[in-house]
Amino acid sequence: MSEILTINNLKVWFHTRRGTFKALNGVNLNLRKGEVLGLAGESGSGKSTLGLSIMALLPSNAIIVRGSKIILKNRDYLKYFELFPEEKIDRKFKIKKNQKIMKHIRDFLAKIRGKEVSMVFQEPMTALNPLLQIGYQITEALLAHSSINLAKRILSRINLTEDDVREILKIVKSSKNVEKDLNEFSKLKKLDGIEDQVLYILNRKDLSTIRKERMIYSLKEKMKNPLTMSYLKKIAENKSIGIYRFLNRIPILKRYLKGVLIKEGYRKAIELLAMLNIPHAEKVVYMYPHELSGGMRQRVSIAIALANNPDIIILDEPTSALDVIVQYQILQLISELKYKLNISFIFISHDLSVLAEVCDRIAIMYGGRIVEIGPIDKIFYESLHPYTKGLLRAIPKISKDIKTIESIPGTVPDMRNPPNGCMFHPRCPYVMDVCRNKVPKSIEYSKDHFVECFLYGE
Amino acid sequence: MKLWLYIIRRILLIIPTLIGLTIIVFILIHVRGNNLIIAEYLNPHLTGAARDYAIQQLYQRFHLNDPLFIQYFYWLYQVINGDLGLTRTPIYSGPVNTALALFYPNTIMLALVSSILIWIIGIPIGVWSAVKRDSVFDQSTRVATFTLYAMPAYMVYLLVLIIFAVYLKWFPISGAVDPLLLQGVSWYVNGISYPTHIIFIDALLHGDINIALNSIWHFILPSLGIALGGVAGIIRLLRSSMLEVLDQDYIRMARSKGISESEVINIHARRNALIPAVTSFVYGVAGLLGGVVVAEVIFNIPGVGYWTVQALLNNDAGGILGSTLIFGIILVTASLILDIIYAALDPRVRY
Repeated sequence: MSEILTINNLKVWFHTRRGTFKALNGVNLNLRKGEVLGLAGESGSGKSTLGLSIMALLPSNAIIVRGSKIILKNRDYLKYFELFPEEKIDRKFKIKKNQKIMKHIRDFLAKIRGKEVSMVFQEPMTALNPLLQIGYQITEALLAHSSINLAKRILSRINLTEDDVREILKIVKSSKNVEKDLNEFSKLKKLDGIEDQVLYILNRKDLSTIRKERMIYSLKEKMKNPLTMSYLKKIAENKSIGIYRFLNRIPILKRYLKGVLIKEGYRKAIELLAMLNIPHAEKVVYMYPHELSGGMRQRVSIAIALANNPDIIILDEPTSALDVIVQYQILQLISELKYKLNISFIFISHDLSVLAEVCDRIAIMYGGRIVEIGPIDKIFYESLHPYTKGLLRAIPKISKDIKTIESIPGTVPDMRNPPNGCMFHPRCPYVMDVCRNKVPKSIEYSKDHFVECFLYGE
Repeated sequence: MKLWLYIIRRILLIIPTLIGLTIIVFILIHVRGNNLIIAEYLNPHLTGAARDYAIQQLYQRFHLNDPLFIQYFYWLYQVINGDLGLTRTPIYSGPVNTALALFYPNTIMLALVSSILIWIIGIPIGVWSAVKRDSVFDQSTRVATFTLYAMPAYMVYLLVLIIFAVYLKWFPISGAVDPLLLQGVSWYVNGISYPTHIIFIDALLHGDINIALNSIWHFILPSLGIALGGVAGIIRLLRSSMLEVLDQDYIRMARSKGISESEVINIHARRNALIPAVTSFVYGVAGLLGGVVVAEVIFNIPGVGYWTVQALLNNDAGGILGSTLIFGIILVTASLILDIIYAALDPRVRY
């Protein structure tokens, strides 16, 4: 498996009035294609900050320290920016200058946000704008990155001839590998985007075969007016839209230009929602967030994240605000998507039992560092780091009759003045002298299983 | 379609409110006693039997011998037919509804122009000072709005007048329209223009662009003064609600989609932040429609506030009660409009 995301020595600090809050202190992480990586740890260990740094959505007082590397698909984005070195971040630090750099990074990464990396947030209740329709909120993500695809979909329906439809029906009825044949067909006839629409109709479970055939027949669309057509062609060919940008501001004309794309976005949104097992997707796109339940809203958030076929989806505690049954459904959905779409997930959660359901590997975070990372079995059954052991012991077990819940003594360190040496040493039961002075290096204990602790290795 | 039904239901619901309002005004009229009601209509030169006869006639005309609740319906019938009684003030004597036709158009014009100014000045500044939080722009807006807040209204008006009319001479000093332009105009009779009574609209209807422009030109300065007084509150309110909205999860979600920052602000943040500001704005406009006394006096515009104050000073019951009734109706309508705006802006409002 190839690595899609590599994070090297990532340090993200926050400038506050009462000192510098060191949220991430040298995170090393790699994410492979098509895997689910769990990120676990206490509150304040920097899980969410790590997610936000990958998205470049950090708040304006955040500082990315020089030497940090976020390499996404072999491109190191941070190397273009003049980041501040560690020594310079002290009491006299000029936050204004850093804010400018952070803004540059935010703007620069806007083109990958949502397209290559996207994120699902914790609270489905507040993550959707209450005043906008579900369909519009999905369409917006599509318009931001894949308006070309939308235009191609419309044009493919317009260019569809009766013979093409007959051929499609023949493929649908007789072919063994419908998906592949349809792809070939659409490439041959230059009807990009028609295959998705046919497949969506075929994959629907609530329709009879006759009804499906009739729907494929009715895919054919009439020619639009010349203005709309030329606009769509320009977008489909990825040319600059020049004058149309101004025409899009005129309310009546907007209906025939951008409005056509928005309408197509709603169509695509219906397909996305149906893929995520939302019943009556045709109605749901016209609803507002308050009309949906928590689980449905979380699915809509996932649909928004999936809209542009990203390579990585960061799930920031997507199930924490949901009840157990909905939680299970969402987890099912995520494992399904993993196999279907070959997307890599970073699943952030403080709940190890949730991570156990879906993850391939788990990384344990403490004090802004990844203290242990490894395949899920190794983490659960052969855990090495004292903190991981403590975490696993703290999961209450139903099978035992427990009087007290075990926990790790002490609290998360104050990240304004983090302890010297190993972050965990004040709470560690196996603390040694070396722990107090030196930061442990990452050791590959067994294959793929890394740990940062002096107890292991030489 | 559902919104349409909701509007009809809301309109039906204001009927009880209006009945309550008319009852209160009616009681206020009768608290003064019957003599004061007929005083306006009685010829003061009559004496003896003739005077008694005239009083008897007036008692019969106003049904003053009937029980009070029957009198209410007679009075209501009279009000619905457009008869609000008589007024006698130094600036105008005659029927109240003629007085309203004379003074109200100026107030409406003033309220409309100034509320449009408040809207187009307030929204961008409020939104931008929240987006560019703690920037030079934000800080200077803060200083300016608090200065405007702290200044008494008449001082703002006088400053505007001195700067733009006296020194720069961009706008006329006073008046609602240049009287010379109205000489010999067929649709302008005895200070009242026809058919809508609002000079600007009537001029446009009759194709007199000159007069329309002149009237707008006269109204800009007083409206600017009023707008500067009212805009400070809107800016502060909008800024704080905008800051609150920008902190919400759905704004972060919108950014995570990769849409441009201007779209985040214009589509996601602004509309949400406007909802609390709309309340303050609509009641502000309703207040303006009740007359801005100080502005009307300073800019010498014969508006309804000016007339009401004259009625108050001269103990003129007809004028006071007439304007009370009208102002009550305006407030009720304003809350109706507010509900409709809410329903249109926010899908969470159930209807």
